[in-house]
Amino acid sequence: MNLLSALAIGTMFAVGIFQLLRRNVIRSAIGLIILTNAINLFLFTTGAYQGVVAAYDGLNGQISDPLPQALVLTAIVISMGGFSFVLGMLYIISVRYKTSDSDQIKGLSH
Amino acid sequence: MNSSWLVTLPILLPMLGAVLGLLFRKLRRLQIVVTALVILSALATSLALLMTVSLTNRPVVFQVGGWPAPAGITLIGDYLSAFMVLMSQIVLAAGILYATGCQDKCVRFPGFYPLLLMLATGLTGALLTGDLFNMFVFAELMVISGAVLTAISDDRFGVEAAYKYFYISLLASMLLLLSCGALYATYGTLNMADLSRQISAKPDLPLTGLAMVLLLVFFMIKSAVVPFHFWQPDFHTAATTPLSALLSSVVVKLGVYGFIRMTSLLFLDQAPEIRQALVVMGCIGVILGGFGAIGTHNAKRMLAYSTLAQIGFILTGIGWGTPLSLAAALIFTFNHSLIKSAMLMLAGGMASRAAVKSAAFQVLVGVGKASPAAGVLFFLGGISLAGIPPTNGFISKFVFFTSGLEAQAYFSMALIGVASLLTLVYTMRGFMKIWWEEPAGSAKTKTGGDRLIIPALLITLCLILGVWAEPLVNLSQHIVSWLDNPAFYIQAVLGG
Repeated sequence: MNLLSALAIGTMFAVGIFQLLRRNVIRSAIGLIILTNAINLFLFTTGAYQGVVAAYDGLNGQISDPLPQALVLTAIVISMGGFSFVLGMLYIISVRYKTSDSDQIKGLSH
Repeated sequence: MNSSWLVTLPILLPMLGAVLGLLFRKLRRLQIVVTALVILSALATSLALLMTVSLTNRPVVFQVGGWPAPAGITLIGDYLSAFMVLMSQIVLAAGILYATGCQDKCVRFPGFYPLLLMLATGLTGALLTGDLFNMFVFAELMVISGAVLTAISDDRFGVEAAYKYFYISLLASMLLLLSCGALYATYGTLNMADLSRQISAKPDLPLTGLAMVLLLVFFMIKSAVVPFHFWQPDFHTAATTPLSALLSSVVVKLGVYGFIRMTSLLFLDQAPEIRQALVVMGCIGVILGGFGAIGTHNAKRMLAYSTLAQIGFILTGIGWGTPLSLAAALIFTFNHSLIKSAMLMLAGGMASRAAVKSAAFQVLVGVGKASPAAGVLFFLGGISLAGIPPTNGFISKFVFFTSGLEAQAYFSMALIGVASLLTLVYTMRGFMKIWWEEPAGSAKTKTGGDRLIIPALLITLCLILGVWAEPLVNLSQHIVSWLDNPAFYIQAVLGG
């Protein structure tokens, strides 16, 4: 399970960074969200495999660390909000320039 | 005995004001009054916080929810945080009061003042928190309010600039999150005091270096240090004037705060390497920012590039690492905030008086003829930025170069000394273009642009701090004496 999640995080990082560097702005935004999810998954796995019982359960046994789960919930919400704002701005930009090629979106290169 | 709730007020008051502002969104006048009252009372509480810290001579620590330190979230106002918060609140209050007299259309957007107050909440929260993850949350709050405010700006390219900024800042926040994950996996805590203790106990675990570099990159993106500066001039130009005065003066200082915290608290063993990197980045920043400011054709853009150079000075001061140079960096930080916000407000005010609303020099030529008083203020701001007495800029440069002599950093000092002459060149060029040259042909100016009382007050404050600099210098030396003793901070948070 540990190896599997390590592989998954690595793959997501690779795909995310590859997409991030694409010329198309929409693709690069998608790369950002993939990278974000890779980081969230990494944060989640920092405390995932030590315990077997949820912290609130009150059962016997090794309880799992609740802090990474709390952190990752916050981070997911923040990245979701941020990504929707990015998409909103991208909509305006792609309507204005009628393209999503970052070389042709020249509004700021003055 | 307990006055520890005082540290929560500079964060909670703007947040409350934002909520009230959204409730009163239909009643514009009431919204403005509430916003102004809230930000002024937040300024008063941050002054009270600094007074409390200096009178009791110990940090004000508040454990949120009553959970003891390493488990819960700590809010801590030590000397450095209280100082930075006071500086931020002064400029934030000035920016918000400037916005009430601003002629831009976007100021009438009902969410404008609540968003500004959320920006204030995020900034003060990130400065006062003692928990790394909490800093991520507050920094994200700050970023998203700043980006939204720029996206609605009057400038044609507001959305593009906001996209650029938000994209890179979201990436930066994610790097901070990655760093949090790495630190948590290694040390099992995110409380900064606890982290400091554990990192100095075991400084070379595998993920420590990674976490340090990621944190460094996060703060570099936040304060637009050289390899990560490309978004900054666009963003600060496109933002509406009251906002760009805030962004270019206090919001970039979050990174400065972070560098000081990293070298004096979090990564004590790795601090020499960080300092070396900061000196290199700082020198490059001073040169690049100076030439960028000379090469540009827009008044606001010129001042944005100038921020790049001034941040370079501050980083070099932190990088030299002696107590005096650290004090110089703090004085520089404070003075630069006042000067830069005042000058951006003056440039923006002139842009609002031009026939076409723009801060480009070709539009602004001769616009200042109608308001000579603003010209005097801009001139004073310019010589203050260049470091000529009797202004506070002189004090910061004087302490800075004295500390450089003491640290025997002759090479970086020579480089910076030459580059800082550029400051005089570009500020005077801006002054000549706007106030001195005759307008070409039939260039008309509009009567009644933005109100300029706030930049006048800020420049007056600059002059006062230039003549009566002793309190600020003493204060920064006190701050540095606390920074030299991280055990004090750790003990205040963790007890025992």
